[in-house]
Amino acid sequence: MTSDYALEARGICKRYGTHSALTDVDLLAPAGRLHGLLGPNGAGKTTLMRVLLGLCRRDAGTVHLLGQPLDTTDGPLPEGVAGIVEAPALYPFMSGRRNLELLARLDGNSRKSAHVAIDRALERTGLSAHADSAVAAYSAGMRQRLALAGALLRSPRLLFLDEPTNSLDPAGAHDIRSVARALADEGTAVVLSSHDMAEVEALCAAITVIDRGRAVFSGSVAELRALAPAASYELHTSNDDQALAMATRRSGVRAARARAGGLELSADVDSLDAYVIELGCAGIAVRALERKARTLESLFLDLTNRTMAAAS
Amino acid sequence: MTARGCWIVAGVECTKLLAQTTARIALAVCAIGPFVFAVLVNLQDALPEDTLFGRSVKESGFAVSLVILGFAGLWLLPVVASLVSGDVFAAEDRHGTWKTVLTRSRSRAEIFAGKAMVAAGFSCLAVAVLAASSMAAGALVIGRQPLVALTGVPLSPADATSRVLLAWTSVLPPVLAFTALALLCSVATRSSAAGIGLPVTAGLAMQLYAFIDGPEPLRQAFIASGFGAWHGLLAEPPFHGPIVYGGIVSAIYVIMCTLLAYRLLLRRDIGG
Repeated sequence: MTSDYALEARGICKRYGTHSALTDVDLLAPAGRLHGLLGPNGAGKTTLMRVLLGLCRRDAGTVHLLGQPLDTTDGPLPEGVAGIVEAPALYPFMSGRRNLELLARLDGNSRKSAHVAIDRALERTGLSAHADSAVAAYSAGMRQRLALAGALLRSPRLLFLDEPTNSLDPAGAHDIRSVARALADEGTAVVLSSHDMAEVEALCAAITVIDRGRAVFSGSVAELRALAPAASYELHTSNDDQALAMATRRSGVRAARARAGGLELSADVDSLDAYVIELGCAGIAVRALERKARTLESLFLDLTNRTMAAAS
Repeated sequence: MTARGCWIVAGVECTKLLAQTTARIALAVCAIGPFVFAVLVNLQDALPEDTLFGRSVKESGFAVSLVILGFAGLWLLPVVASLVSGDVFAAEDRHGTWKTVLTRSRSRAEIFAGKAMVAAGFSCLAVAVLAASSMAAGALVIGRQPLVALTGVPLSPADATSRVLLAWTSVLPPVLAFTALALLCSVATRSSAAGIGLPVTAGLAMQLYAFIDGPEPLRQAFIASGFGAWHGLLAEPPFHGPIVYGGIVSAIYVIMCTLLAYRLLLRRDIGG
């Protein structure tokens, strides 16, 4: 069977005893795109990745990786498919280079042919200078880079990255994102899971949102944005009662009392500007105005039924 | 599953094994230990008389090797058999590397076979080193005098050499059975401590059972009974019944433990 998608997973179900970890999840990722897999912690993103990489058996559904069906957990991962699930795991008693040599050998490459690929992967992930140090001495960020280097050895056309920027400093996260973006530009389908809306929004052309094991949204970022509500803000004024009354009279501004004091507002930027000016004209001082959730974050929270208070 | 894939995994496992100190120390102990034993025995007046061939250790170097073999059968051989095999699967759990290994181009069957091959290979290598070292230690420290067989007949050095070699070879099936048991414990418990400790404890329990007056068929169903099967080789004429029986028992353990371990690995969901 051939497929237009680098990844085509349909109707994936996974149960642990009576607990349904995944229920009828579809995930389609075309070549040359970054596809975000978004969801709160415990939503089922990692379980889905494990199923798609053949690490876990699925109870229902079909998976095609680069057009090849993934029928059992016994077979080898198809050529051109690579992935990093959860925290990177390598042999701490060996150097980074030695770890990569072992991975290359498991892929069936000879030492000679692997040598060039290893150097290139180390260079691309910025680890060349530390390649001969024992992995035990690596920081979390360096391990993440080494795991990515290991994935790059497979010349991936479909790459799974599970929360790849967790535990990285901003510079390290930027580097990993750059590599992911470059791979997508080269034609690789990159499936990137994250609970960070901003990261997914910045990187990915399409998104699947998962909550409690179910896909609650799947589509392009533009489609998601079209569904998005106005951004949320927290407002503290010199007279919250009057400010609330003024907000309820305005179109484009929704307001409610916040549990911790002040008001919770939902408005687009233009409506908010007009409202703040009106408050000033009415002699009401704005003491604090803080954005609680960005546009897509608000939608994400709506989709995943998380309250703004819980998220903050 | 392909033979090439199995050998690739075995090669990778060998590299990992050599990068760790445990295996190297174990082989060094197997190589040096017999020499230490032979020198100590030669220096002291008392003899290990309660051990088979213990009275002859100063009269024939071949007896040194057989005393070591008898002693090793009690607990050393189960330890040697479990050392690598009890850790070879559990180590991937300890390092969290199953997800790394299983997302390459090798099937679970190839990974299982490659690891099992290395575990079995290490067990056989350790026995070979122990055998070679104990025979060399006996010959160098005591000498290659004729050995008095269990039936009182003296055996020429050439005859004694071949019988001692056969005696060491006869413990390979039970060693491989302990190796398979350790593989099963390693896969099932996902713990190196249990993978190594459980087979050794089982071996000791089997040895202890030999001292109590339990049903004989049960004793013969134990792997450890195969460690004493070589006694028949040192009689004149030699008899091989216990070796054949021990070999059959060991083969049953090897097949059952290996199949069960393989099935467990195949059906396992790799978690975080």
